[in-house]
Amino acid sequence: MVTLKIDGSDLSVPAGTTIMEAARSAGIDVPSLCYHKRLSPIGSCNMCIVTVEGRPGPVTSCNTPVEEGLVVVTESEALDVQRVANLKKILKHHALDCPVCDKAGECDLQNMVYRFGITDVPFEPRTQKRVEGYATSLIRYWPERCIMCRRCVTACREVKGIGAIDILGENEESRLIPVAADKCKSCGECMFVCPTGALTENLSRYKGRPWLGDRVKTTCAYCGCGCQLELDVLENMVIGVHTKTDDGVNRGSLCVKGRFGYEFIGDDKRLKTPLIKENGTFREATWDEALDFTAKRLSAIKNEFGPDSIAGLSSARCTNEENYLFQKFIRAVVGTNNVDHCARL
Amino acid sequence: MTDRKTITLNMGPHHPATHGVLRVILELDGETVVDATPVIGYLHRGIEKICENRNYQQIIPLTDRLDYAAASANNIGYCLTVEKLMGIDVPKRAQYLRVIMAELARIMGHHLWIGTHALDIGAMTVIFYAFRDREMIMAINEEIAGYRLTPSFIRIGGVARDTTDEFIKLVRDFVKWFPKALEGYHTLLTKNKIWTTRTMNIGVISAKEAINYGLTGPSLRGSGVAYDVRKAFPYSSYNDFEFQVPIGENGDVYDRFLVRMEEFKQSINIIGQAIENLPAGPIQTDNPWISSPGLPEVQNDISALIRRFMINARGAAVPVGEVYSAVEGAKGELGFYLVGDGSEHPYRLKIRSSCFYLASALPRLLVGHMVADAVAIIGSLDVVLGEIDR
Repeated sequence: MVTLKIDGSDLSVPAGTTIMEAARSAGIDVPSLCYHKRLSPIGSCNMCIVTVEGRPGPVTSCNTPVEEGLVVVTESEALDVQRVANLKKILKHHALDCPVCDKAGECDLQNMVYRFGITDVPFEPRTQKRVEGYATSLIRYWPERCIMCRRCVTACREVKGIGAIDILGENEESRLIPVAADKCKSCGECMFVCPTGALTENLSRYKGRPWLGDRVKTTCAYCGCGCQLELDVLENMVIGVHTKTDDGVNRGSLCVKGRFGYEFIGDDKRLKTPLIKENGTFREATWDEALDFTAKRLSAIKNEFGPDSIAGLSSARCTNEENYLFQKFIRAVVGTNNVDHCARL
Repeated sequence: MTDRKTITLNMGPHHPATHGVLRVILELDGETVVDATPVIGYLHRGIEKICENRNYQQIIPLTDRLDYAAASANNIGYCLTVEKLMGIDVPKRAQYLRVIMAELARIMGHHLWIGTHALDIGAMTVIFYAFRDREMIMAINEEIAGYRLTPSFIRIGGVARDTTDEFIKLVRDFVKWFPKALEGYHTLLTKNKIWTTRTMNIGVISAKEAINYGLTGPSLRGSGVAYDVRKAFPYSSYNDFEFQVPIGENGDVYDRFLVRMEEFKQSINIIGQAIENLPAGPIQTDNPWISSPGLPEVQNDISALIRRFMINARGAAVPVGEVYSAVEGAKGELGFYLVGDGSEHPYRLKIRSSCFYLASALPRLLVGHMVADAVAIIGSLDVVLGEIDR
């Protein structure tokens, strides 16, 4: 354990912790844009600067490990001046599109600008327009909103182990491009970590602002992993999927199905009543009728041809309990071991 | 001889002379009131509770709906409270504009009072003149705020919009016109024999009792107590203006009438002084966390756009603390007690409604009078149920 002093209070943290983590564990909210709990420190935004006694200039707290006896100050006027200057640099070319941005309302950049009360950053158009590089059918990249924090790049490399995207180009020409486009699975990890609206989802675009709907916590219904997610519900329709870094086994990550495969929920073509096939065409039936019919036919087939003439195929969309009950039904009631599971989706 | 029996008479809540939805249960012995119980709550909208779920900016229109007859005065009371807790100074120009709006609101409230009060007692003509002049103020409200009755013109840290030439002209016209109109009201009522007979020595309350009942505003001053929040605890630059606090002697309906008639004059004086000495300068305090940037800024400056977005979508956070501040509304001391918990929503906002205290004095005032005097007394207190029930 290492003891240090942050903003006048003594802390004791394990060796190897960064100053940022130590400060946040003590409830001190060090501002940052590029730091993300799941990623290794990036150090691109320079918002988390702190003063350490004995060092000539401010240091970035996100990638500075603690040392015995450090004396750290996280809030001072000089630091704020630098932070404001950093923010203004980011804002100078930032697109004026909060009113149409899907991220507006839960945007780290907005929060930071409001926190520091930034004023007077007249918009300066870029001399050369940024090229719209990275895009999939599900994810859209807005180069003018990008603050070049590199969270997406780091997440793609560290969390997913893919490395499909990278920032290329210097200064004004820098942009996010797919360096290995064929490897991109559209998992949306980059979108999840994006602090601004630079990476947004194509499906939920313009369907509703984040504060209008409800966030319903649920478990992903696709496979047995049990990823935790939050559905954005507006007027009884699911319009988006969100995750939280601290939640569940997935800790914020999702696969392409979990993050984007929600449109079927409100689809018109969904089956709402059981159907019975008669003379080659389906007709709508009640549950009682359908169950009676199924039970009658199953027992008839079983009596006539024996239990092994019946097989059951279950689905990964069911819960463990439902699958257990299903195999129990096939084995105990029908009396056959012909039971399987698609095991994938 | 048979026993004397009383009958119970339900006055209101839909009685036109109860000015809204006040219900008074009268026990009558013949035509004399022996007991009176005011019943309130028909207009309860849960404003105080709604406030706990709104951000500070969003509460302003709710305060309009307290004493809706004099809406701007409520805005000021609320905004001053929040500003006190946040420690914001409001620019002089905004303070003067607030004063103009508050005094116009007071006159508007008194217009409604004199029209209906006289109508209740049987003098029908007054309401037409009162509403003719009230319409002029409505036009002023519309010009500067866009709304006529509930302008929501005051903002935390200043006011919503700067003046227009048309606004200045309308206010000047009104200041010039109104004293003449006021003389008209006096001609109709002040020395009218029927009026004086109906109002003198009716509903008398002594200074001491008025204080004990918690009366404020013209109803307290009618009993001879010169208490006016504008003089006692000046806010919004009221000490820049010369005005007097009229008081009555007897504390009867007629004195309360005279006090309000004089307040008309004092208010128009204040407006005249404010509009002629309107200082130049900003109308919003310069605070990046509170003052929402204007459209030209927003269209050219991302930081202004973000701040406007944040201020309007999330709202400014208010420090932890408790604060009480009061203003002189048209009906009396309108107080706001605010508990901030560091978030964007009030932890609690208690509204001290002056009308609540006026209505609670009704049993004391009504007992012993004829039932016909009840309408005179209720009218002279000038209660607004929007504020009582909240």
